[in-house]
Amino acid sequence: MLQALIDSLRPKLPIQNPLHSFVHNNILQTFEHLDFHEAVGEAGKLYRARPYWETFRYTQLYADKKMTDADIFRAIDHYLGHYAPMPSLSLLGLSPKEYFYRLMFSELSFNDDETQPKVEDQSLWEHCQEKVQGETLVLSRSRTFLRGKDYWEKYYDESYAISLQPLAIRLISSYLDQGQSFWPNPFRAQGFWNFFLYDLEVQTPYAAGWLKTLTQKAATYRGQSSAQVIEAELRLTGLPESLWEDYLLEVLFDLKGWSGMVNKLETEPWQAPVKAPGIRLVDYLAALVLMDRAMDEFHAKAHSIDLSLLYGRLAPLELRSFQLALALYQVTLTFKLPPRWMRDHSAAQLLQMIDEVDVAEHRDRVRLWHEAYEHHFHREAIEALRGRQSAETSAGGRPYAQILFCIDDREESLRRHTEEVDDAVETFGVVGFFGIDMNFVSVKNKRPIAQCPPVITPSRIIHEVSVSDDHAFQRWNLLRGTSDLGLYYNTRTLFRGFLATLILGVASLIPMTIQVFFPRHNRVLRRNLRDLFGKEPETELEVLSTDPGVGYSYSEQAQIVTAVLRMCGTRDLSRLVVLLAHGSSSNNNPFRQAYGCGACGGNAGIPNSRAYAQMANDPFVRAEVEKLGYRIPDDTFFIGGFHDTCTDEILFLNHKDLPSTHREDFERLKTHLKEAAQRNAFERCQRFSSFDESTGVAGAIGHVRERAHDIAQPRPEYGHSSNALAIVGRRTLTRGLFMNRRSFLLSYDWSQDPDGSVLRQVVIGGIPVAVNINMDYYFSAVDNDNFGCGSKLPLNMTSLLGVMTGSQSDLRIGLARQMVEIHEPIRNLTVVEAPLARVKELFDGHARLRNLLYNHWMRLAVIDPETGKWWMFSQSDFQEISFDGPALKEFTSSLDLLKSHETSDFAEIHHGE
Amino acid sequence: MANSFFTLLIFTPLLWMGLLAGVYFTRIKLSEQHLSNALRFYSLYMVTLALGLAVLTFLHRPSFLLIDFADWFAVGDYQFKLRFIVDLLGATYALLATALVGVIFRFSRNYLHREAGYFRFVFLLSTLLFGLIVVSFSRSIDLLFIGWELVGTTSVLLISYFYDKSQPVVHATKAIISYRLCDMGILAGAAWAHHYLHTTDFVIIPTLLDHGHGGAGLVFIGLFITWASLAKAGQLPMCSWLPAAMEGPTPSSAIFYGALSVHLGPFLLLRFYDYFAHFPVLLVLVGLIGGLSAVYATLVGRTRSDAKTMLAYATISQVGLIYIEIALGFTGFALFHMVTHASLRTYQFLRSSSLIQDFYENPVVEHNRTIHRRFSFERFFSPAVRQRVYVHALHGFHLDYFTGRLIAGFLYPMRVYLQWEARWLEFDTRLLKLLLRKK
Repeated sequence: MLQALIDSLRPKLPIQNPLHSFVHNNILQTFEHLDFHEAVGEAGKLYRARPYWETFRYTQLYADKKMTDADIFRAIDHYLGHYAPMPSLSLLGLSPKEYFYRLMFSELSFNDDETQPKVEDQSLWEHCQEKVQGETLVLSRSRTFLRGKDYWEKYYDESYAISLQPLAIRLISSYLDQGQSFWPNPFRAQGFWNFFLYDLEVQTPYAAGWLKTLTQKAATYRGQSSAQVIEAELRLTGLPESLWEDYLLEVLFDLKGWSGMVNKLETEPWQAPVKAPGIRLVDYLAALVLMDRAMDEFHAKAHSIDLSLLYGRLAPLELRSFQLALALYQVTLTFKLPPRWMRDHSAAQLLQMIDEVDVAEHRDRVRLWHEAYEHHFHREAIEALRGRQSAETSAGGRPYAQILFCIDDREESLRRHTEEVDDAVETFGVVGFFGIDMNFVSVKNKRPIAQCPPVITPSRIIHEVSVSDDHAFQRWNLLRGTSDLGLYYNTRTLFRGFLATLILGVASLIPMTIQVFFPRHNRVLRRNLRDLFGKEPETELEVLSTDPGVGYSYSEQAQIVTAVLRMCGTRDLSRLVVLLAHGSSSNNNPFRQAYGCGACGGNAGIPNSRAYAQMANDPFVRAEVEKLGYRIPDDTFFIGGFHDTCTDEILFLNHKDLPSTHREDFERLKTHLKEAAQRNAFERCQRFSSFDESTGVAGAIGHVRERAHDIAQPRPEYGHSSNALAIVGRRTLTRGLFMNRRSFLLSYDWSQDPDGSVLRQVVIGGIPVAVNINMDYYFSAVDNDNFGCGSKLPLNMTSLLGVMTGSQSDLRIGLARQMVEIHEPIRNLTVVEAPLARVKELFDGHARLRNLLYNHWMRLAVIDPETGKWWMFSQSDFQEISFDGPALKEFTSSLDLLKSHETSDFAEIHHGE
Repeated sequence: MANSFFTLLIFTPLLWMGLLAGVYFTRIKLSEQHLSNALRFYSLYMVTLALGLAVLTFLHRPSFLLIDFADWFAVGDYQFKLRFIVDLLGATYALLATALVGVIFRFSRNYLHREAGYFRFVFLLSTLLFGLIVVSFSRSIDLLFIGWELVGTTSVLLISYFYDKSQPVVHATKAIISYRLCDMGILAGAAWAHHYLHTTDFVIIPTLLDHGHGGAGLVFIGLFITWASLAKAGQLPMCSWLPAAMEGPTPSSAIFYGALSVHLGPFLLLRFYDYFAHFPVLLVLVGLIGGLSAVYATLVGRTRSDAKTMLAYATISQVGLIYIEIALGFTGFALFHMVTHASLRTYQFLRSSSLIQDFYENPVVEHNRTIHRRFSFERFFSPAVRQRVYVHALHGFHLDYFTGRLIAGFLYPMRVYLQWEARWLEFDTRLLKLLLRKK
């Protein structure tokens, strides 16, 4: 029975991976079966976090005209369309709309404070007082005490974070450690529970205070299994079994990061960076429960409190007559009610009303603000796209080059700039692993790295092999690895540390000075040094193989090649086709994986674009492709490319094999891409307040490169900050539209997809990724301390698994404050250009998409090209959209727009004329 | 020339702090960029001065410079003299301090960008630098104490940099208690020296001893000074605050607990070395403390699995070795060890955020294979003993428990006293009430 109970806790725990393989996730992915607002409310209680932004942010936005009354009323309507307003609303004599509108702008706060208010309207105040004379009300948002923690913290100045958690953290971090400590935990074989019991046994003579209680308790359980202990302790609390789950969750969420990690390493041991220790959630939970109970018993004894009276009791938020009168007074003023409105109402009615207003104040008010704010942005986005679907492909005929970008929102700007620089280039957006679901093994590292979206298990291993002499390189590589590891351990011990300090100490001033003062030179120096000792060899990817699990056969390669080309809907392949993967370089950054290509598991997509180009250029593969009914022109050459989203450098991987006939075009493309990347850097720099704008476009590229290589830089780039949209459709829909890097762009041409199978691939491959990223940023932005990771400045790497804040803390989850500080938490709006019925069928037929859509974790708009109608998914069905917004501003180029410091997110770029 | 170098070196930081304070109190809006640009010049200027001074001192070694300013104040027979000594020890430490603070200033320019506390951080680091320079060149305990206190205060304020969270504040409190306990040693040492020798001058005391002054009572000066050095250096028994102090932004942890603040302990001993040389028993004590701390810290440190705490213990163990070197009389070597160790630790602290990726990318680290650590001495133990020692080490050999007991012992009379006071107060109020009622 207990096992079932524990298994039911698992889905509620945080799901973050160890940091080395961080992937963006909807951190509440396991809550997706619930309505968004319900889920964030529930999770907010568990995480003790705020589910939306602070209210003042929204009122600030309202003051800045980032939302209007129309948006607010629509949000209220939307709400009322689904929920009944509070039962006692009639007392106030307001319409529901008025009620909510005034509530949103209110500054109500009902609490058990004793402070004397500043009363201006004396007669009203007296009236209120007399109305609720002698009454008391326990607010329904009072919580139940399942354990002593809140009680001790509130009344006895106890802090679990200071007294209890250090022991738990020390034990679990030492047990889970993957190799950061010099002395590996010698208890791995016995399991965590035995380690815990043994530890307490050894500590017994030195235990004082609550620890003494703990050691005594633990002594009575010697020889019992962890599950038995949990059950025994739960029975001792006297809590009814229905509350056990809540109790255990509360205990686990005290250290939510560690709990999540324990669960992760137990259920998915392959996620461990080195080797997963044998850890079981039940062992860890038993330890936590025992500690928690010991603390309760200790305090109960010290303060002579009967625990059985405390457990299950309400932690009342009680309003007495004075505070009730104050509440009435506030209500009267806030809702602008006539002074004698309460004359005919009984005290009981009024109390009920106060309680309901209190609930609405805490639950609905911010929610309405958030909805209004989102709605405003989504309207803006839809209006911006309006009228664009009629636009026809600008240049007829065959473009000289086509570039396949990743769907990533950060590539939106680069695509735009590329097209502005060179009108004759056609761009597409496809999921950046290019359909190659591989584990990649590079010549540098024997460790296979999954180069595909985290939802897919890689089906193949592909090796990079050297074709030139790599002897020196391998030796140097191995030597570097060994010495790095050796230096890590041996500078920290006593005698070896002594020798290492003497030899390396002063010498370390040199790399430190270079890295701190000359970040850009550091990289060049490093590269030169490496080339000096062991130049990286020329390599090739072993793509072709018939062995199961290794490489792809010709026909499989052909399928991959065709699938990608079909997905982006190319009609006519040009002579040059560039696959532009992306990644991000940064230095000394624990969150580096979060900046990489989400579709490549957070890694750089180089191997994928390289492998794809290699496949697609292979004449045998092309022959197979033709069998699949797709024709690649003979003069088409595929080039694997790479865009560094942090430094805005563009790399071409196989241009050496380029036929001389294509040289000229390639040179043109290269120069233009370089120019576009520079402009892109300039656009990104607009968000960095340390960028000196007078240095212009040329200065921007230097600025972003310095950021990438600086060990002191907590913001190498802003990543996906401000992402809010995903657009699935032809480029004609978005070409020439400035979108301020806010949109994922997925290429899809409905007219070439008669049966909807391509749409299926595109949407299922891309939209969940976009929503994951969007939600990860959402939660880290709305409450960075509790859903996110907090400030990056005091972070402390631990156990090779994650980060703690300061010397010791919970394992942090989510993104750091510096990564999301400019993000605006808005749920993703996906716009699909495809027949409505097809989209509906797709979303209804896919479990996760259905949850995302119907439970409002995302918004969906559909442009039906067959009927020309626009649809928006509302509460539970699609509604037609009507347009009324003003036309967009127009600029001749994105650069012009940036230089004019335009603040709106959307604008029209008309160039050429 | 050295004279003017020195004057500039000690007065510019004062001026600079005055400027910062002026900016703060006049509420002039100083943009972050302007501040960091000014810092760039300031640190370059300070490093140049310190370098010049160090080179000059080195060239003229072993002679050194004594610089007297006017007396600060006088009370009766006592004058607070502003007298400095510029020798190789002080000049080296000052050079190290300016150089590392310069690096940290540059590092923080980006690291603390957009941070509301940037100005505070800069001001505290500037104060640290001034404190360090004062400590480096002070010629008497009286004067040194000023710098010593400045370093301690800035350290505590930077541990509690995130003062809106409870843990940093608690750990800062832990640090300040340790500091104050040991600072009493300096004061007691100074008082003792004043009483028996009528001076606390580092140059005069050894010569007095050479001439046969004093007696057995003088050994207490050394005891107090040794005690005073322990908190900053994180040596036993004052070492549990140091690993807990890693709460501020990484660069401040680096500069204080990897480099400049921890080495003030051995620095103080080196300053006093000529005195200590007269009392072999003190040197034995210093060596013992160092040795114990080194072994203790390395044992505890190797069970730590987080980057910063681990570095803190590694630092304690190396500083322990420096104590031994001082005890053995290798003062020059100890100074070198301090410099080289401070540089290495600063670098390791600053780069500590790379750890996870460094491991992951290391070609030697493979998946599903435990990382092989080199042979080390815990393997001599049988498995059962090893586990027991591991658990003890994991809990820092219960140092907190023992110090807790000790403090509780000290506090017991206090508690009794407070109880009596409370009773008296109660009685008093009752009496008062009674009297008032009668009226």
